[in-house]
Amino acid sequence: MKRTSEIVSIFTRKLFPFMLLYGCYLISHGHLSPGGGFQGGVIFGSAIILLGLVEGIKEAENRFQEKALSLIKNIGMLVFLLMGFMSMFFGRAFLSDFMPRGEIGTVPSAGLIFFLNLTIGFMVGTGIAVVFYRLIKFGSEE
Amino acid sequence: MKRIVPIILLLLLAFFLLSAIKINFGQPKTGLSQYYLNHGVADTGALNIVTAIYLDYRAYDTLGEATVFFAAALGVFMLLRKPGEGEKD
Repeated sequence: MKRTSEIVSIFTRKLFPFMLLYGCYLISHGHLSPGGGFQGGVIFGSAIILLGLVEGIKEAENRFQEKALSLIKNIGMLVFLLMGFMSMFFGRAFLSDFMPRGEIGTVPSAGLIFFLNLTIGFMVGTGIAVVFYRLIKFGSEE
Repeated sequence: MKRIVPIILLLLLAFFLLSAIKINFGQPKTGLSQYYLNHGVADTGALNIVTAIYLDYRAYDTLGEATVFFAAALGVFMLLRKPGEGEKD
């Protein structure tokens, strides 16, 4: 049984990779242009949510399993903390930059900020998708 | 005694509101924001000043923010589960 219209379904499938790409772009360029970890992560998660709304939760879970997303979210939190302790290991204050920097205006210019953005982005994206999965599954129990 | 406490609180509130009015918009009393604008790029290497503040100067706050998000997701996990799920022991 198919409940969504053909147009919406096809459009979603075409749009989906570009939404993921745009989310990754916002995350990785968070220190150069407007955006950042939270915003890019939300776009990343909303791509998965759109897939779940249009194609159904089963189809979305074929591609992004809830357990895998949940694992990424949990590991993200751990990595964020570990990066903070790594700064202390290098003799700096907690969560401060200890990495070599590139030329200003390029992606590797900000050192640790890039990696913190990456961690936050994937954590927020997968976290939002997992919360959505949970809500849908809880509501659709027979 | 019961009357005095709210009156004191109201007077304090009025005092703080009146002193807040005196600060002109765009001319903050602390020099911290100007420091961020002047030295942000050199200190952090990030062109986006917002990111420079929330992931370098205030990274500890961001850790708390991430923790709040994590706790919210865990709360959804905890509340929205099928009866008997995850209670094997």
